Amino acid sequence: MTSNVPATYQEVFRTDKGVVYQCDASYRLILEFWNTRTQFSARDFAQFRRMVETVDIRQMALSTAASDDVEILTLPRSERCYVLTLCEIVHLRELLNGAKLMLDLNSMLRECGCTLPEPA
Amino acid sequence: MKDLARLRTAIKESVELALNQQIQMEMVSSSKYLAMAGWCDRNGLDHCAGFFYKQSDEERHHAMKLFHYLCDQGATAYSPEVPAVAQEFDSLRSVFEGALEQEVSVTDSINRIIGICRRESDYATEELLKWYVKEQMEEEYIARRCLELIDQIPADQIYYLDKKLASVTYDGNVFDE
Ligand SMILES: [Fe+2]
Ligand SMILES: [Fe+2]
Repeated sequence: MTSNVPATYQEVFRTDKGVVYQCDASYRLILEFWNTRTQFSARDFAQFRRMVETVDIRQMALSTAASDDVEILTLPRSERCYVLTLCEIVHLRELLNGAKLMLDLNSMLRECGCTLPEPA
Repeated sequence: MKDLARLRTAIKESVELALNQQIQMEMVSSSKYLAMAGWCDRNGLDHCAGFFYKQSDEERHHAMKLFHYLCDQGATAYSPEVPAVAQEFDSLRSVFEGALEQEVSVTDSINRIIGICRRESDYATEELLKWYVKEQMEEEYIARRCLELIDQIPADQIYYLDKKLASVTYDGNVFDE
């Protein structure tokens, strides 16, 4: 999947389970996870991150009910959804929180009048 | 790299979250005051009922001010969940005690959000919240003054007390010109 990355995509954060890119041309954030790519507006990305953040993984770990084995997350403004196990939630959190950290860092640099050098 | 979140809105996530919580708190206040108005109304305290109906409207207005601010700034405002509030009270005094406690917790909350604004260098939101700081001074003053009057006016002069309580205003706010 990672092989055919459009030229406008800039890598924001990567783990061994996925990548988050930003596309300045379309004002979108792109989540690559589980061999799928999902495009988000900045707003939807923040909302999705909060959704993933607020999943009760303790409940998932402790409960023996089959319905607690997976968490179904509906993507904002989309028909699609993620069906995620506890491990995948943890991996997704790591990816999304890492991406948020880099986006926050980018904001901080802008606020103090610095810019990151654009990739060649 | 473009700052996409900033291009969408000047409001940071932490401030957006705090303001949405404040919207909820104002709506809870509105609901509490409406319950107080209802209690006064059915206990023959017409003037106090009128006072609390007006307070209830004002609290909704406080919530809407924040709601519109968030929307106008490109942030997201959520219509809040309002949990059940107490409908019965032991006495007129306990009604006003409840009002004062609610106002104190609102003041605390406003102050906390101003702290967040300062941390995030969000001076526009801080400017908006200054209005709430002044408003809270008035609200606390009025609730405290009403409790004083309840202590000062003999308990059997209910009609006079009812009228007197509803007429309390705060004219001497030092922030007014
Ligand atoms: Fe208020
Ligand atoms: Fe109030």
